[in-house]
Amino acid sequence: MPKAYKQVPFAAIVKSPTVNNQGMVTGNWRYLRPVVDKGLCTECKMCWISCPDATVNYSKDDGISFNLEFCKGCGVCSNVCPVGAINRVPELDFED
Amino acid sequence: MPIKKRGTGLTAVADAWQLADIDVTASYPIRPYTAVMAEVAKRIANGQMKCEMVHGEGEHAQFSIAHGASMAGARATTGSSGVGVTYAFETYSPIAGGRCPIQALIGDRTLDPPGDFGSEHTDCLTLRDNGWIYGWAENAQEALDNSLLCFRIGEDPEIMLPQIVAMDGYFVTHISQDYVMPDQAQVDKFLPPFKPEFRLDVNKPVIMGPQIEPEMGPPLEWDRNVVMERVKELIPKATAEFNKIFGAKYAPFVDEYMTDDADMVFLLQGAHAVTCRSAIKYLREAGYKVGMCRLRWIRPFPDAALQQILPKFKVVGVIDTNTSYGAAGGGGVLLVETRASVSEVANKPIIQGFTSGLGGETITHEEFFKMADMMKQTLDAGKIIQSSTWVNFNDYDKAAIEVKAAWEQAAPSTK
Amino acid sequence: MAVAEMIKSIAQAPEKEYYLPGHRTCAGCGPALAYRLIAKASGKNTIFIGPTGCMYVANTSYACGPWAVPWTHAQITNGGAVASGIEVAFKQLIKKGKIKDEFPNIIVMAGDGGAIDIGLQAASSMMYRGHDVLFLMYDNESYANTGIQVSPMTPYGATTMFTPSGPEIPEAKKFFPKDPMAIFCSGGHPEVKYGATASISYPVDLMNKVRKGLAVEGPAFLHVQCPCPKGWTYPADRTVELGKLAVETGMWFLYEIEDGVKKWNYMPKKLKPVEEYLQTQGRFSHLQPEHVAKMQAWVNQRTQLLGMEVPLPPAQ
Repeated sequence: MPKAYKQVPFAAIVKSPTVNNQGMVTGNWRYLRPVVDKGLCTECKMCWISCPDATVNYSKDDGISFNLEFCKGCGVCSNVCPVGAINRVPELDFED
Repeated sequence: MPIKKRGTGLTAVADAWQLADIDVTASYPIRPYTAVMAEVAKRIANGQMKCEMVHGEGEHAQFSIAHGASMAGARATTGSSGVGVTYAFETYSPIAGGRCPIQALIGDRTLDPPGDFGSEHTDCLTLRDNGWIYGWAENAQEALDNSLLCFRIGEDPEIMLPQIVAMDGYFVTHISQDYVMPDQAQVDKFLPPFKPEFRLDVNKPVIMGPQIEPEMGPPLEWDRNVVMERVKELIPKATAEFNKIFGAKYAPFVDEYMTDDADMVFLLQGAHAVTCRSAIKYLREAGYKVGMCRLRWIRPFPDAALQQILPKFKVVGVIDTNTSYGAAGGGGVLLVETRASVSEVANKPIIQGFTSGLGGETITHEEFFKMADMMKQTLDAGKIIQSSTWVNFNDYDKAAIEVKAAWEQAAPSTK
Repeated sequence: MAVAEMIKSIAQAPEKEYYLPGHRTCAGCGPALAYRLIAKASGKNTIFIGPTGCMYVANTSYACGPWAVPWTHAQITNGGAVASGIEVAFKQLIKKGKIKDEFPNIIVMAGDGGAIDIGLQAASSMMYRGHDVLFLMYDNESYANTGIQVSPMTPYGATTMFTPSGPEIPEAKKFFPKDPMAIFCSGGHPEVKYGATASISYPVDLMNKVRKGLAVEGPAFLHVQCPCPKGWTYPADRTVELGKLAVETGMWFLYEIEDGVKKWNYMPKKLKPVEEYLQTQGRFSHLQPEHVAKMQAWVNQRTQLLGMEVPLPPAQ
């Protein structure tokens, strides 16, 4: 069987991504999903600033949410939350 | 107007770098190449050159600095000699693989031991497998010219590879000689400004040198290989254009001397060609039908040119001014590559090796005579007598003295 | 010297990310969090140089990477030298009018090996020569990308693949770590006008130090402690917690040296016993009381040497 080589650009120089790096999608690493309890959340953004993967999002309208396409489920967000508003729920409990 | 000058291979390359308007150079002292950096420093200090000179803390840093500068879009140079060349070894493949066309001047020198300043090609030949374009200059003029040619070839958008202007330490780097510094307008006509397609630019961000998947490695290396083959095609074109603009007469790959009717040739590179030519004059008068082939490039190796040229002769004596201990056939790098180049050619000559000129020794007339004598014996025998010979160590000649005596008898007036 | 725009609180931290989602760093990776905060602080006009290490390998494995700004690899040996070349090239090309760029923020992101071990020569020379570069050492206290081997920054008493503990060597690693701030920011490199230690667990402090380092003309040095779940052996969710505990136990300090003047950025009211820190990590699990006492004595001595005047736990 012929080997399947992959084309590589000149000197392996590649364009920088702008939103996320689709070359390494890491959401499938996760076995515990962060879930925020909006009733408890004070929007201090401690979870947002502490995420190694930039997968905690914040907006004034929607508060804290998670980028599950990339979240590895490390749980740092939950650990740093001063009010215990982020639970870590097994992925198998979810339909999607 | 071109200027007639008196200087060395090093000042000549400083002239080339000035004419090429280099942006960055990186220095570290080691003999004999050092003087080029001293010269550039002087020219920066007096305003003659606009260039950043970074004093590296070693050769590894020198090449790394030039690498960084090239990624930022600068025309960058550096240089070294001897163990300095090998100290930088880690950097050669990343620079070539990153397709950064920096230029290095290497004034060659023995590796330790012996702790010797003398010229020897081993240092620079050790990095021949990394994708750098290079060859040895015979004199100051060729050093200057090779520098300009190398920038032109290496920076070609279809090539983008680093280059080395190599020259024999002391013989070329330090012996004062006449040369012509070309006119700026000529250089501007020959060498366009360096404008790489990719550089570190915050408005067009790229990722340079990421790790790749195993399936991408071979294609990436194949590309470097293809480009090196393309250099072989570009060298004759660029050389012809150079000759036209600067009024020079360079052969693209192999400089031949008295080969028209020769049945034996010396094959070598670098400054020993000067002595070789004069030895050939004496040998001709003594009846030896001998000529010389001088290689202008070692990478890419001029295999196709040699396939055309060498079948004209019966015996080729390859002179290696380098060591490659345990190499096939017992000689040095040139012997192996020359034999490999013509291995499949019909009517190929008998190729024997000589190791001579190590440790900065000149190859004397007497030694050329000895080699000619040994080649004559091969010619008469019609077969290899000894695959490779270290001159003055395991020679099998009948003594150079006889050759000398024959010459003295034949042409006493030209002594 | 340009004046850095300071960030006053997490609420004021820039929203824009330049170290994006999509990298193969371990879950809970301290160095990845450092990268994100540094890129956030430095912004668009930034070029990163990444010498070989975790932050090269885990970020770029498949001919891609997570940076929205230019990034280039350097060898583990030569981050400082490659950055020097980039810096002088920009200066010269701008001066000659060959490019129209604004002079960029140039940041070397070197691991402890690439900064203070095999990369020390290039780092030192870059700082000696006064290049306008921020040399940043993300310190996860080992050669982690090759599977956790000892580096000069590995603490006394830690196990690594090269320093296992056993009956002949019960304490595992025998030596105490190097002090990079003493090497780079205590007068030995006179061109360095700004140097600081920082931690991923103090993000505002870290981001402001990045901005200060970039604002000074000439080289700046940042030594950032980055807990590493894999190398230190602790659950991934505790990364930020352990960074804080390190500061509270004197296993890490937060200070800066600006123009030769040292300033403490955070000082605990009193140090907690170092044992509290050691207990959290598998790499210290083999330590005997005498080793813990030796570590406490070292912490106490270092605290005093650095001039942090707080009550210290007894060192038996």
